[in-house]
Amino acid sequence: MSGYGGLVAALLADDGTRPWTATVPRRLADVLASMPVPARAGLRGAAAAVDAYAVARTGRRLAALGARERERVMESLGARPALAPALDLLKVPVLLAAGTERMLHEGGRGPLLAPPDDPPLDCVPAEEWPARATADAVVIGSGAGGAMAARTLARAGLRTVVLEEGHHHTTASFGRRAPLDRFAELYRDGGATVAVGRPPLLLPTGRAVGGTTLVNSGTCYRTPDHVLERWRTSFGFSLAEGMPDRLDEVERTLRVATQPLDVLGNNGLLALTGAERLGWRAAPLRRNAPGCKGSCQCVVGCPAGAKQSVQLSVLPDACAAGARIVTGARVLRILVDPDRPGGPRAAGVRVRRVDGSELEILSPLVVVAAGALQSPPLLRRSGLGSHPGVGRNLSVHPATSVAGRFPEPVTAWEGVLQSVGVEEPHGQGVLIEATATPPGMGSFVLPGVGRELRRELDGAGHLATLGAMIADNPSGSVHGRDRTLIRYDLSRRDGGRLMTAVRAMAQLLFAAGAEEVLTGIPKAPKARSPRELDEALAGVTARQLHLSAFHPTGTVAAGADPSRFPADGEGRLRGVTGVLIADASLLPGCPEVNPQVSVMAGALGVTGG
Amino acid sequence: MSGRGTEFRETLLGTFRLDGEGRTRAARLDLRASADTVLRPAGTTEARVTGRIRIAGWADDPHLVGELEISPLARRRIRYRLAFTADGRRLTLDGWKSVTPLRPVRSMTVLPCTLYEEGKRVGAGTLRFPLGTGLAPFLASFRFPRREDADALVAPRWNGEPGRTEVWYTTATDHVTGDGLWLHHELVAPTDGSGGHAHGWVAVFPKDGPVEHARFGPEPWRGGTDGFGTRDVSVRPGRLTGTAGAFTWDLTERAEDAPLFTFPRWSWRRPLLPAAQILPAARATYDGTVTHDGRTLTLKGAPGASARIYGHGNARRWSWLHADLGGGDVLEVVAAVSTRPVLRGLPPLVFLRLRRRGRTWPRRAERPALGWAGAGRFRAEIGLPVWTVTGRSGLRRIRVEVTQPQARTLTLAYTNPDGGETVCRNSETADAVVRLERWWGRWRPEAEWTLEGTAHAEVGGR
Repeated sequence: MSGYGGLVAALLADDGTRPWTATVPRRLADVLASMPVPARAGLRGAAAAVDAYAVARTGRRLAALGARERERVMESLGARPALAPALDLLKVPVLLAAGTERMLHEGGRGPLLAPPDDPPLDCVPAEEWPARATADAVVIGSGAGGAMAARTLARAGLRTVVLEEGHHHTTASFGRRAPLDRFAELYRDGGATVAVGRPPLLLPTGRAVGGTTLVNSGTCYRTPDHVLERWRTSFGFSLAEGMPDRLDEVERTLRVATQPLDVLGNNGLLALTGAERLGWRAAPLRRNAPGCKGSCQCVVGCPAGAKQSVQLSVLPDACAAGARIVTGARVLRILVDPDRPGGPRAAGVRVRRVDGSELEILSPLVVVAAGALQSPPLLRRSGLGSHPGVGRNLSVHPATSVAGRFPEPVTAWEGVLQSVGVEEPHGQGVLIEATATPPGMGSFVLPGVGRELRRELDGAGHLATLGAMIADNPSGSVHGRDRTLIRYDLSRRDGGRLMTAVRAMAQLLFAAGAEEVLTGIPKAPKARSPRELDEALAGVTARQLHLSAFHPTGTVAAGADPSRFPADGEGRLRGVTGVLIADASLLPGCPEVNPQVSVMAGALGVTGG
Repeated sequence: MSGRGTEFRETLLGTFRLDGEGRTRAARLDLRASADTVLRPAGTTEARVTGRIRIAGWADDPHLVGELEISPLARRRIRYRLAFTADGRRLTLDGWKSVTPLRPVRSMTVLPCTLYEEGKRVGAGTLRFPLGTGLAPFLASFRFPRREDADALVAPRWNGEPGRTEVWYTTATDHVTGDGLWLHHELVAPTDGSGGHAHGWVAVFPKDGPVEHARFGPEPWRGGTDGFGTRDVSVRPGRLTGTAGAFTWDLTERAEDAPLFTFPRWSWRRPLLPAAQILPAARATYDGTVTHDGRTLTLKGAPGASARIYGHGNARRWSWLHADLGGGDVLEVVAAVSTRPVLRGLPPLVFLRLRRRGRTWPRRAERPALGWAGAGRFRAEIGLPVWTVTGRSGLRRIRVEVTQPQARTLTLAYTNPDGGETVCRNSETADAVVRLERWWGRWRPEAEWTLEGTAHAEVGGR
């Protein structure tokens, strides 16, 4: 067995009566194997510490204990509030594994219609790409920005090569595999990218052809006008001019439309009900998923082919115009000719294949679209990261979630994953979005351990979950050359916004008829009324929340001031000719909404579309 | 004048795999690289490449051409872009060594490359520089020959001094019809200080028919910075145009070789000799038309050469030969007797330059003229219709016999700066036999060229 049998049995109060619990340890081992070494080591250490506690208390390890003894150990552990955060850390992968196994055993995954064929892409694995090649333009990254840049350049007649570190996954392949199996492949670090800080943030990003658009929720907000105005006037982000037209073009390309109510799901409908009773502004979100079947698997690749991720919408157009996509290709560095007339000039890229061999592509134009977390290290590896602004100015959307228990079954994982936007508190920098995920994959952590946790797990069908993200101060940074180290310190203002968000979500859930609200805070896990909630949250700060973060932006920001912004207002990297920044790192400040459309419109502007 | 260039040879061995084939093919690349500047290891040097590529069972092209980008430190790249023909298809090889200090030897010797046909990939391969067998010949092949800016050699030399003459002349042979062409442009500054004037002529030597010519000028010299110019006639780098009498011509000139200094190089830079002659390009090709009396001579890649003379005036007696020997080889001969008091008593001084396989023999231009204090100098027998030059240098000796038949020779008279009359007898359809021998125990024939109606020759005198 994998060595986690005892821990899993203890956390889930496994009494051997249900078959799905038996395979959870193996699934957990698979989950951990896909994580980066530090995360794996941390979780192993925490598991070992729990085992050591059991030995100290009973003289035997968890695996050797009976169900009753294990439960006593867990009760004893759960009674110590100081240990609650560490236990919650352990619970995340265990719940992930448990949710998947339970779904597989209990047939939670309904039969899917045969997925449509994806539009053709010209994808070539790096192993089949020649060691030496030339192109007119190389685009590093095939996500929102990279795809848009590639399409624009290819349509302009340039021989364009898109380099993608991940692999190409088809809609059909999503339908064949369990969500968790896809999870490890589609996300960088198995989804366990962490920003170091107080509190640490989980910051998942996609790594596949299509980038994070493959695994986002499909929510498509236009950049708010006040954000564009701030970017233009405060930062000299000249691309903000003409942005409305580019946003229109992106929305046309992605076929963005308001999500119809038919497949919205109970989670979204409850959010609408709550908002209506409160008189708050709320509506189904505008999404790029025409014909969404409500599979609730956006975050592991849409198995219905409805979500117009860029590998279904933009990259096929790029390939039709002649662009080629090289997969399994990690760009080691941008090659720079330092002795060109007029100063240093981009000459191409050096790429490492999965097997460790290298290839080079010479190109006078290099478009950096590796994402806000990967572009700064790439520039540093290439000797282009000397500007003090490279890697700084990291903005994310810190997010937290709250669940409400309803008397009637909700079955939140049947319907649209991110369905309804509640914009009432958006003026305070808080955007609430009704978000349900496949079991265990959300950022919400069920309270308790042992039997209590098991009860919550068994009753998860009655839970509706809301998520909220806040517009932050850019208070993070990306360090490192080869390995990325992300640092993010939540500002005091943003901590306050998060607490506001928790209260607002709880208010919404109570208004919708929730009997109980689960905060996910170990110290104050539950409240049965708004008054109880206020009392419970009285001494709680944002640091005690389970925080995730999404939408990293701003690490190679574009702006007019050369001393402050590494890229000029048009997205050209300063200090070298021929390098364009065309991903989320370009945005000079927090976009305050889901940024896919903003990033794509920015990339369109950078490449002159 | 732009200093020295770089030349070297390199051999690469390796394999190619053609797309759609399951096997690799052995390959060999023999390259001759030539750069216009001295190789700068810390900078970037561009070089032209010629050579041969062999890919087993598929390609053997001895006329490979291409270019090299040599930048081992600045750009950390040595790039090869070569064009060749294989199997009747025009292909391009593009690859580069990617230099890294972590693996200096490997990265400087391994050349991954890709083959393209009309921009589409047709194969890929890896070539390696064989250190064991290739390093010594590679290092020994390095040469840093002096480079000249051919365009600068076309610019006028005259700076207003009296008693000077300066000539731009061009001769070509239409290899289709066998017709010869002679364009002569001359600037004369009389010794009486009356200022420079320009004149010249154009002559066509039909293969079967009388020579026709027309003169232009004289007219006052109007100056020029990059060549010769009168109201109707001009010589610019790469372009010759003009109208004279019934003749109109418009030609483009493309240099096919490096400059050739028939006289010692120093004598062109510092005009210490009575006169000096050079060729901005030892060989050139001409495209364009020459129209006269309603007939048009159309040149397409016609071989020939332009030459320049600058000095105090014409020699007392002289003979001249320009012979395109084919295959990139060329022979230039000037034999002359000076008008200077002491020198006029000497036999003709012979300046002979044979450029063969990219090398010029004898190595020094003074050698055939002066020998070793006169001993061993080359000898000329100037006469008509036959004149000869013989000589020996090192382990080679040469005999040149030129025949200028009366019917194919044009006789023209003109005035020297000192007012004296000069007559030249020129044929652009002359015959010549050039015999080269090498001593190896005895004199053995090394090469022989026979030119029938394609030699350009002249005999002149006062």
